[in-house]
Amino acid sequence: MRPEIIALAIIAVIVFGTIGFALAGVRRFKMDPQEYIVGSRSFGALLLWILLAGEIYTSFTFLGAAGWAYGKGAPAFYILAYGTIGYTIGYFYLPEVWRIGKERNLLTWGDLLADRYDSRALGVAVGVLQFFLTVPYVTLQLTGLQILLTIAGYGRYDSVAAVGAAFALITLFVFTSGLRGAAWASVVKDALVLAAVLFAGIVLPIHFFGSPAAMLDRVIAAHPDWMTLKTGTQQYGIVWYISTVLLTSIGFFMGPANAQSIYSAHDAKTVRRNMMLMPLYQLVIILVFLAGFTALVVVPGLKGPAADQSFVLLLQRYYPAWVLGLVAGTGCLAALLPASVLLLGAASIFSKNVLTDAFGIATSDRSRLFWTRALVLIVAALSLVLWIFAKTSLVDLLLFYYNGITQLFPGIIFALVWKRASAWAVAAGLITGEIVAAYSLHVSVGPWGINPGFLALVANVAVCCTVALVFPRTARALAPSQ
Amino acid sequence: MNALARVLLAVIPAFMLSFAVAGVNRVEPRVFGLPFLLVWIVLWVAITPLFLYGVERLRRKA
Repeated sequence: MRPEIIALAIIAVIVFGTIGFALAGVRRFKMDPQEYIVGSRSFGALLLWILLAGEIYTSFTFLGAAGWAYGKGAPAFYILAYGTIGYTIGYFYLPEVWRIGKERNLLTWGDLLADRYDSRALGVAVGVLQFFLTVPYVTLQLTGLQILLTIAGYGRYDSVAAVGAAFALITLFVFTSGLRGAAWASVVKDALVLAAVLFAGIVLPIHFFGSPAAMLDRVIAAHPDWMTLKTGTQQYGIVWYISTVLLTSIGFFMGPANAQSIYSAHDAKTVRRNMMLMPLYQLVIILVFLAGFTALVVVPGLKGPAADQSFVLLLQRYYPAWVLGLVAGTGCLAALLPASVLLLGAASIFSKNVLTDAFGIATSDRSRLFWTRALVLIVAALSLVLWIFAKTSLVDLLLFYYNGITQLFPGIIFALVWKRASAWAVAAGLITGEIVAAYSLHVSVGPWGINPGFLALVANVAVCCTVALVFPRTARALAPSQ
Repeated sequence: MNALARVLLAVIPAFMLSFAVAGVNRVEPRVFGLPFLLVWIVLWVAITPLFLYGVERLRRKA
């Protein structure tokens, strides 16, 4: 049999099998907006763990981290650090976010801001912002999917149709099953990702070089500067590393889908325990780096976004089609399932904070469910359009997302701890931050080598604090959170 | 006092994974073949849960 048929058939079995498993698991739950969007706030520690891991370990981890290890070297190490700091910060504020959400029946970040600052307009603005910022993150998953399906097709098919079909499938899946379905599917996905990454990070270097250490010797001999950061303020240097780690760890939970995951927990203790343990899961990323470094020696010469193909291309060249099919099928799950959670997150925030709160549509449970589902389809379509026009590397798409989404953080934190901050102060900071972030898209490296998104965040906080100090909030409409 | 101690305890690994990296930006000494910069990051990621466990203990005492 031809190799591309074997590989693509295995991918199809893995994707359809996982979706079938998840649909069987959620059949007995009655569907309403609370169930659809936050799984009725009923997830225990284990299901929350799988959901959090599932939406964080995406095709960005699977391909993008290897691609940066291959194409840039040490700057990729930021990926290991930022999640860990993200959980550390999350440990402190997310249990409180959960508690307020439970008490006030909130579903989204927009709800939290509207509630705490007593400003529906702020909730609407954040809803629109999050909706559109989610699009590049979904596009990232589509780009990952395309890489996998192109390589698994051995160059004999046009992969665009296959990507469209797989994406339509996952859109229908989340359209039907909601958040709980995505969490169930992640059970299968995470087990497969772990197996695939162990294979790619341990077995590949042993096969080609005898051991991971011997492989690293070869990389260091060929590229002596690959395993350290450039000094000072150069692009992707130490200053870039530090500012990027800070920016992305602060923004770690600011996406619409992240609010959903936190609200799906059945108590604050579940949230806290997950934040304490999740860093261990980050360690898996070392193996992805090793896979990328192995590819650098075995299949050198991939430039720019092509570096994202690294170890999958190696599998295509040196392994039988069924091995490629298993790994690529796993990678497809790692792209499709996070995409499904992202679609749901963006749709939820737009239907709740924009349609219901701003336009008064979708006020009953039934029509809210209808509109959320309709919006899942709209976000999916927008992401496909961006994917067709924008061709950039996986990590660059992610950094673009973080530059914008992290600007929400000051508003969320001040909502919890600083009573002086008003909706106007938060809005002024947010607008400043987004303008600086949008402007900085045109510059590849910020002044002094700082990640421009981080400068946007500093400007945001400065403006927000200034406005809050000059025009403090007179009386808080709601009782303080304690 | 307790709240301050909790924050300081959590800041230690976060600092080691961000700013402190400037001081360990080296290939040698290698551990199991991994370059030292990566070893440092892996080490602090691995023990972050211990620090957060300590924070949790303090929180329960407060």
